[in-house]
Amino acid sequence: MHSRIHTFQLFNPWLWRVVGALMLYLAGALLVAVGVSLYYGDGMQFALLFSAAVVLMAGLFLRNMVGWRRRKAAGVGGEGLFDFQLSLSGIEGVESYWLTVCVWTVLPVVGALPYLFTGVSTSVTDAVFESVSGFTTTGSTTFARPECLPVSMLVYRAMTQWVGGLGLLLLAVALLRRVGMGAGSLYEAEFSGTQQRRLHPRLARSVRRMWMAYGLMTVLMAVVLWVQGVGVVDAVCTACSTVSTGGFMTHGVGSELAAGSSGVMATLTLFMLLSGMNVAVLYRVLTLRWRGLWREGELRMYVLLYVLAVAVCTAALVVAGNGWEESVRYGVFHIAATMSTCGFYTPAPQRWPVVVGVLTFALLVTGAMSGSTGGGMKLRRVMIIMKYIANYFTRMLHPNVVFRVKVNGQVVENDYINKVFAFVFLYIVFIVAGGFVLTLCGCSIPDAVCLAAANVSNLGPSPLINELGGSLDYALLPDVAKWVLALLMIAGRVELFALVAVLSPSYYRKLRIKN
Amino acid sequence: MGDMKYILRFLGIVLMVEGVLMLSCLVPALHFDDGTAGSIALSGAFTVTVGLWLRVTFGKARVLRARRMAYLLVVLMWVVLALFGMLPFLTTGTLTGVEDALFESMSGITSTGATVFSAVEWLPASVLFWRSMTQWFGGFGIVLLVLAVVPSLGINKYSLYTAEASGADNTGKQSATMGATVRQTLGVYVLLTGVFVWLLYKSGMQVWDAVNITFTNISSGGFSIYNNSLERLTHGQQYIVAAAMLLSGVNFAMLYNLLTFRWDRLRHKVEQLRFYLLVAVVCSLFVVVSLVVKMGYGVGDALRCGVVQTVSVLTTTGSLVADTSGWWVPVTFLYVVLSMCGGMAGSTTGGLKAMRVLILVRHVSKTLRDRLHPRAVSPVRLNGTPVRPELATNVMVCFMVFVMVCFVGIMLLMVCGINATESIGAVVACMTGYGPGLGTSGGFGCYAHFTLSAKLVCSLLMLMGRLECLTVVILFTPAFFKMKIEK
Repeated sequence: MHSRIHTFQLFNPWLWRVVGALMLYLAGALLVAVGVSLYYGDGMQFALLFSAAVVLMAGLFLRNMVGWRRRKAAGVGGEGLFDFQLSLSGIEGVESYWLTVCVWTVLPVVGALPYLFTGVSTSVTDAVFESVSGFTTTGSTTFARPECLPVSMLVYRAMTQWVGGLGLLLLAVALLRRVGMGAGSLYEAEFSGTQQRRLHPRLARSVRRMWMAYGLMTVLMAVVLWVQGVGVVDAVCTACSTVSTGGFMTHGVGSELAAGSSGVMATLTLFMLLSGMNVAVLYRVLTLRWRGLWREGELRMYVLLYVLAVAVCTAALVVAGNGWEESVRYGVFHIAATMSTCGFYTPAPQRWPVVVGVLTFALLVTGAMSGSTGGGMKLRRVMIIMKYIANYFTRMLHPNVVFRVKVNGQVVENDYINKVFAFVFLYIVFIVAGGFVLTLCGCSIPDAVCLAAANVSNLGPSPLINELGGSLDYALLPDVAKWVLALLMIAGRVELFALVAVLSPSYYRKLRIKN
Repeated sequence: MGDMKYILRFLGIVLMVEGVLMLSCLVPALHFDDGTAGSIALSGAFTVTVGLWLRVTFGKARVLRARRMAYLLVVLMWVVLALFGMLPFLTTGTLTGVEDALFESMSGITSTGATVFSAVEWLPASVLFWRSMTQWFGGFGIVLLVLAVVPSLGINKYSLYTAEASGADNTGKQSATMGATVRQTLGVYVLLTGVFVWLLYKSGMQVWDAVNITFTNISSGGFSIYNNSLERLTHGQQYIVAAAMLLSGVNFAMLYNLLTFRWDRLRHKVEQLRFYLLVAVVCSLFVVVSLVVKMGYGVGDALRCGVVQTVSVLTTTGSLVADTSGWWVPVTFLYVVLSMCGGMAGSTTGGLKAMRVLILVRHVSKTLRDRLHPRAVSPVRLNGTPVRPELATNVMVCFMVFVMVCFVGIMLLMVCGINATESIGAVVACMTGYGPGLGTSGGFGCYAHFTLSAKLVCSLLMLMGRLECLTVVILFTPAFFKMKIEK
């Protein structure tokens, strides 16, 4: 066994190699934005080109220079400057935590450069906030008026969400050839132990199928939107933001929604719902393998919860005195946006019952299906906890009964249940702690808790937005609050454990054996 | 139906005790001659009579067979206590609405300390004393009281005890017999009450004031006989009250061992104590600093207000040393979280209790450790000994249900028309037994402006919080009504 596992190496060459390689792809994305900029003539080409160059240099440096001596000693350093073959076998076990955290912090921070260079964001804080929000598919934005953004930046922003949607680590697995032993733990890290089934025995192929399903859905959605009369850029950007459950809104689609276009609304609702599904389930849906799909317990819960929540929301709106049609439209769209943690926002009906706000809060915390692009605690975990608690009550009455929690007919191990409990506890701690820091920045208590929850769940707009009469504008928050929220977004996106692990002292300590 | 008879008999005993305590309010009524003696005597006599009738009619029932009935018994007991506790308020005419009386009575019995009286100084002395008295015996747990008074109850007493202290292990149990444990614990409680009455009296307070203040603070209740709670007291007296509150958050068995020099037994709970004190110190520090920096207090005042108030929050007492409703928002938020933490298990405080919080935190770190070292066997430890895995999950479930009930409570209150901040404050205050909420119901404010439905919801939450959720929630589960388990 490698003794490395228990020691901390900031300059682990394998780790930085992956980060560097991903940065090269980021540079590629920036070049696409340069193309868009040239085509639409919005004058951002030089700034974007410059950022691309900086990212490229940094990426090459990280990929090839950091720890090359050690790599050479290990006999894996022979690749050329532009050789995209890359081995992940240097990253094993718990080091994937560090990799996860590094990838999810370094790339968003580097990805903030274009916002600064093009001058659309005026401060480093705003740029990083926007970039983190993009990569983590949160969709909190400091730009209250997206129509003021140049086209190329709109496209770039949407691209960051698209890439972040399925996950940077999965991108690494899919793109880097010769993924070795380490890939399995990357895959695990991306889905943080929700025990996802693979689509194919071979990991890389399985991951490529996921990306295929993901890409297919994006294209499909863009085309549908385009057919409905949305402009090309708007259609593509919105498709990227929806499928990744990001939630950056473009002006074109936003105004269509505000004008009450049923077609666009229906398209968005449908694709939001689809993107809140497990990617493996989605693959089966798209490839028409529907047999036995309904036996998937989590899918059933997702659909039933959606129907129930829409019913409650609509009923509450009607009781509050809104028209039937308006209530149904709002309910259907709003609940889909919340449950998938997409976070698209439509102006609420005039009479606003508080129940909807509270319902939104509950749904955004429980989140989407596990293994989806969405955020939140994930329904699978919620299901396990609910079942366990129900069993617990029976056991209080009948202490000698033996119960097991089953999901899809399979027994869930107690160890796993304990992990889920720990996760949920941590989740609540993050919301409360984040809320506490936000109150230090001057937010009121409900506001702070809602903002923290909305960002750790990667939703975007706060569920109390209608009640407080607040705007979607995160630009008004103080800088400290933005940094805290950005941290929460990353924590939520890597599903807490990775971040908590690298921040906890026991990661760097050898295990002490107590007797 | 034998179990139902048993429950009714048990309720009879409880009511007799409550009736006698109610009659003890005659002492201040006659001494201060506030004209309520008749009403109080009537309420007390009625309660005693009903209790006696139940006790005599169902006197033959001796055994509680079904486990479910133990849960029902505990919940019913508190409900009946609260219902009869309304009588002094209603008969004296100090409260006219039944929902107000229920709220006040429940708040007393559960030692919460939330009140519907915007001012209390005009109340007749007997009613004031009844409020203090409900907290005093409610705080200790009427179950234990009854078990001590009636040691020959002849049932599976242990199942009753676990029903009240659900989720935690049997933290109070240290003697071979239950009765002895209870007697020891009650002894400590009475002793503490006596000591603090004496201390407050020595510090220059009237006996009447000293008794009332001790009763409501040693039980971590929080009712006051003054409109402005502890603010009127001298600084020294405030520190004495803080000491009372701090001790009320310590496990009573531990105090007993301390007082009887059985120090070798202390180590079984020393980690909880350390955690409890550590939280108190750290949070006090934060509050003191923010009072100085953000609110412009002088250092001495900040130290006094910060420490006393933080102890009051941590022990979920709810006595106020100043009008906290205007305090800096982060401090208020900290207080909301802190009251959820609560004191040690086996004390009079509410909230989750230090032991559960410790286990929760250690469980999370164990999960991390397991991931970093998949082959290591490293159980959650408390005081050096491994915690049974069932206890850990037990605590997890308790926590989850607590959070869920809080959430549902907040939703219900918001539906009742209470704004978000106040809903959060009221729900946490009622669930943990702290008392004052946020906004209008916080600080020296009161819950009078809550709607009827909101008051009922709050009363239910107080009950749930006092019985630690599971005992109450289980009555609403399908499993409770099913006699047989499906295979």
